[in-house]
Amino acid sequence: MVDSKKLQDKARETLVRDDVRRLIGWKRGTYGYEAAPTVIKDASDAEALIFDPTCVQNLASFLTLEEKLPVPRGAEPDTRKVAVMVKGCDSRAIVQHLLEKAYGRDDVIVLGIPCRGVIDRRKAEKLFGDVATPVEVKEEGDKLVLEIGGEVKTVDRKDILMDKCLRCRYPNPLVSDFLLDEEVEKFADDDFADVDEFEKQSPADKWAHWEEQFGKCIRCYSCRNVCPMCYCVECIVTKLRPQWTRRSTDISENTAYHIQRAWHLAGRCIECMECQRVCPVDIPIMTLNRKLTRDVKELFDYEPGVDTEAQPLLASYNPQDPEEYIM
Amino acid sequence: MANYKFAKEKLAKVLSGLSDFKVLAPALTGDVARFQEVTDPAQVTLDYGNSNVPPKELMFPETETLFKYRLGQDEVEASVPSPEEKRVIFGIRPCDAQAYSIVDNLFRWDFNDPYFLNRRESTALVGLACADPCANCFCPSVGGGPASEEYLDAVMFDLGDAVYLKTLTDKGEGVAEALSGVLEAAGGDEKKAADKQAKDALGKIQRSIDTAGIPEKLPSLYDHPFWEQFSDRCLGCGICTYLCPTCHCFDIQDESEAFDARRARMWDTCMFAEYSLHTSGHNPRPTRKERTRNRISHKYSYFPEKFDVIACVGCGRCINYCPVNIDILDILEKSKEAEAKEAKTA
Amino acid sequence: MMDESNPYLPYTVKIEDAWYETPGDRAIKTFKVNFTDEKVWDTWSHRPGQCAMVGRLGVGESMFCISSSPTEQGYLRFSVMRMGKVTCALHELEAGDTMTVRGPLGNSFPLEEWEGKNIITVGGGIGQAPLRPVINYIRANRDKYADLKVIYGARTMSDHCFKGEFDEYNQEGTACHLSIDVDEEKWPHFVGFVPNLLMEVAPNPESAIAVTCGPPIMIKFVIQNLEKLGFAPEQIFTTLEERMKCGIGKCGRCNVGHLYVCKDGPVFSYATLKDIPEAFA
Repeated sequence: MVDSKKLQDKARETLVRDDVRRLIGWKRGTYGYEAAPTVIKDASDAEALIFDPTCVQNLASFLTLEEKLPVPRGAEPDTRKVAVMVKGCDSRAIVQHLLEKAYGRDDVIVLGIPCRGVIDRRKAEKLFGDVATPVEVKEEGDKLVLEIGGEVKTVDRKDILMDKCLRCRYPNPLVSDFLLDEEVEKFADDDFADVDEFEKQSPADKWAHWEEQFGKCIRCYSCRNVCPMCYCVECIVTKLRPQWTRRSTDISENTAYHIQRAWHLAGRCIECMECQRVCPVDIPIMTLNRKLTRDVKELFDYEPGVDTEAQPLLASYNPQDPEEYIM
Repeated sequence: MANYKFAKEKLAKVLSGLSDFKVLAPALTGDVARFQEVTDPAQVTLDYGNSNVPPKELMFPETETLFKYRLGQDEVEASVPSPEEKRVIFGIRPCDAQAYSIVDNLFRWDFNDPYFLNRRESTALVGLACADPCANCFCPSVGGGPASEEYLDAVMFDLGDAVYLKTLTDKGEGVAEALSGVLEAAGGDEKKAADKQAKDALGKIQRSIDTAGIPEKLPSLYDHPFWEQFSDRCLGCGICTYLCPTCHCFDIQDESEAFDARRARMWDTCMFAEYSLHTSGHNPRPTRKERTRNRISHKYSYFPEKFDVIACVGCGRCINYCPVNIDILDILEKSKEAEAKEAKTA
Repeated sequence: MMDESNPYLPYTVKIEDAWYETPGDRAIKTFKVNFTDEKVWDTWSHRPGQCAMVGRLGVGESMFCISSSPTEQGYLRFSVMRMGKVTCALHELEAGDTMTVRGPLGNSFPLEEWEGKNIITVGGGIGQAPLRPVINYIRANRDKYADLKVIYGARTMSDHCFKGEFDEYNQEGTACHLSIDVDEEKWPHFVGFVPNLLMEVAPNPESAIAVTCGPPIMIKFVIQNLEKLGFAPEQIFTTLEERMKCGIGKCGRCNVGHLYVCKDGPVFSYATLKDIPEAFA
């Protein structure tokens, strides 16, 4: 487990630097099994920072979320760095941001945290119910010890961690200025068995599945907003001139929205699975993204978010690219 | 009004007895409930905390047609929405029913919104009192309660094997009449059990806020930096708004397929940047700080300023579903601590 | 008045005449319209300051002030600047075409309370559009009001709206003070921004009401200057604008603090606005 004192000290050390504007980390949530992201500007606030299996959010999203306001006349733009704490999966988002040139390597200070998995709140609530106070979590080997509203519960990791953690190939940050803990072994290899399983269904069954799932969508756009790779200044679904996708929530528009987003993420999705976590109506969004991730790997032998020197997939051309569908 | 009961295992029979009405009730998909038109009574459950999408979608749907027309022609298809068929929302929680009353104020404000009000008029609310409030519920702090009867036409108490149903208004009696073959008269035991359940439920509420002074104080904190600790981590998604039973903002857009066209309205959220964006490019609320401040101020200050009621029923959905743990009770507590004078020196 | 049973239903109007006030990318076009169903006039009444949602079926609606006074009988006027989806679609229309109008919406200038007072209008660019019905109302009820002064400026000569109307006012004895921002050949009047022209004219605040409308930055400085000249907040009126969709206080988006611009406004006195931080954000 990460030593909180070491983590807070490093944060303080980073925040007092002249060239650092803010630090994004996690603090204890106000209730339940998830931590809260926090943006701190003052070193004295570093004592609130934590890292444990409740730290589910991908903080790399906040690097692209921050609004760039016009600089007042006569003032200089603030070019100081932003420091951010990331787990392994989160760090892939930073790698992808860097290779897409969303910002420069010098604009961020990455405090990397090797991660052994984060809690799936839905699984936790099913096991232990909801709770109005924040849950404390300790790691003990294969198990997690949770203090829930005064009661102590122990659970196997495999029963409470997010599915993505159980097949995590990148628990250690792929880019970092400082590592806040010892590196860990990767958990498993990913054979895309989940995609294979889904693909076995008939087209009619698959269509019925998606009709039901997209039928639930309320177009809250949380999946888009939480996604670190969705950072277009004007999103295509909000454009009015011309309007590509209507705002009405009929099955046609909902389907168009989800397919659009999946395509816009092809070769870019770094599988943090935040989209699926945040969906209030439980649409299995990642099924689409996983399918495209697998296809991208097979067709182009490409994996997003691992190599800062790589080219973005759809912005590069290789004469060996498969083209059976052309001519 | 009268007291009835039915055996919980006979729920499907009760719902079938309401065949004269369109029945809307909670159905589970996996572990989550959402209100739907009942096609198969067996799908309906009374064993649920609260729905993810609030039943506001039954009075104020996510998308609805305002009127139709044909492109190239001048006139709109005359449409005052005809009175809806009789409906029953069966199993609505008291907080969500209270939300309808709050939003009534707005939909009746000088101009009557016929779409919403027609549905309100033709719908009976048969509530389900909460025996086990959820962790983040705080309805008593905002004028409600787990067994509040004020905004319902009838209320049910799930007593385990039996469900005690008490009618509260004429509309509620109308529903009971339709079920005359299925409901039995309830006795003192059921009433006592219901009263005890109500009392126990109130004791199980874990979170609260004293809202006294908040509506008056919030505008004075306009420039205070305390908003940033929340807006800095806000994703600007629509979850809090869309799942909030008292949020009512909407967009209006014209849509067409070939020449068949309609003007429709659909849910919108003040958390999106485009919500207040002028065509000139100017945005009076350009960042999440302004928008977060505006949303909370609207619910706890601007709405009560106009309609004398806080636009929040304490259902806890915004707390439960916010992906980054922005907790409205936390915001309100911090607003009470924030010194207005600090706002000036900030 | 609007269809009471459904305030979302628009009236259809026929354009009797349409002409450009100003040229360029952001041209301003004025439409003089009449209801296709004449019977609408039986129940229609509007007051200076009120607005209507003007639009085209298939495109949408936007809020515009009714730029004609109720004393101008038998038609309504709207002046539209071409900016986005709806306004571009409106600019395509010519005399003989139809558009939709939904209104009247919003509050209005308290003209009864202003009787006997000196009225000064201070407009900039298209901001003159809501001031025009005030001026025309006063002209039609001239003996109820004391002095009338019109102060109006635009960026260039060609950007002046309602050209020609100011001569009419002058002939009736209403002092008109016009300006452009940067000097041009053939411009005989003041050169400078409207707030500066206001200081030149320096109207007396005694028993006076000032009404201003224009770009937000102009309104800000005009109000500052009016206060410098001794006008109290209760004597200063303006109109605000925000993005609108329903126009009837339901969709939520046009709020400035607790005030909905479409319903509590668009007319506000500075006495109301000065306590609302969001008003001049």
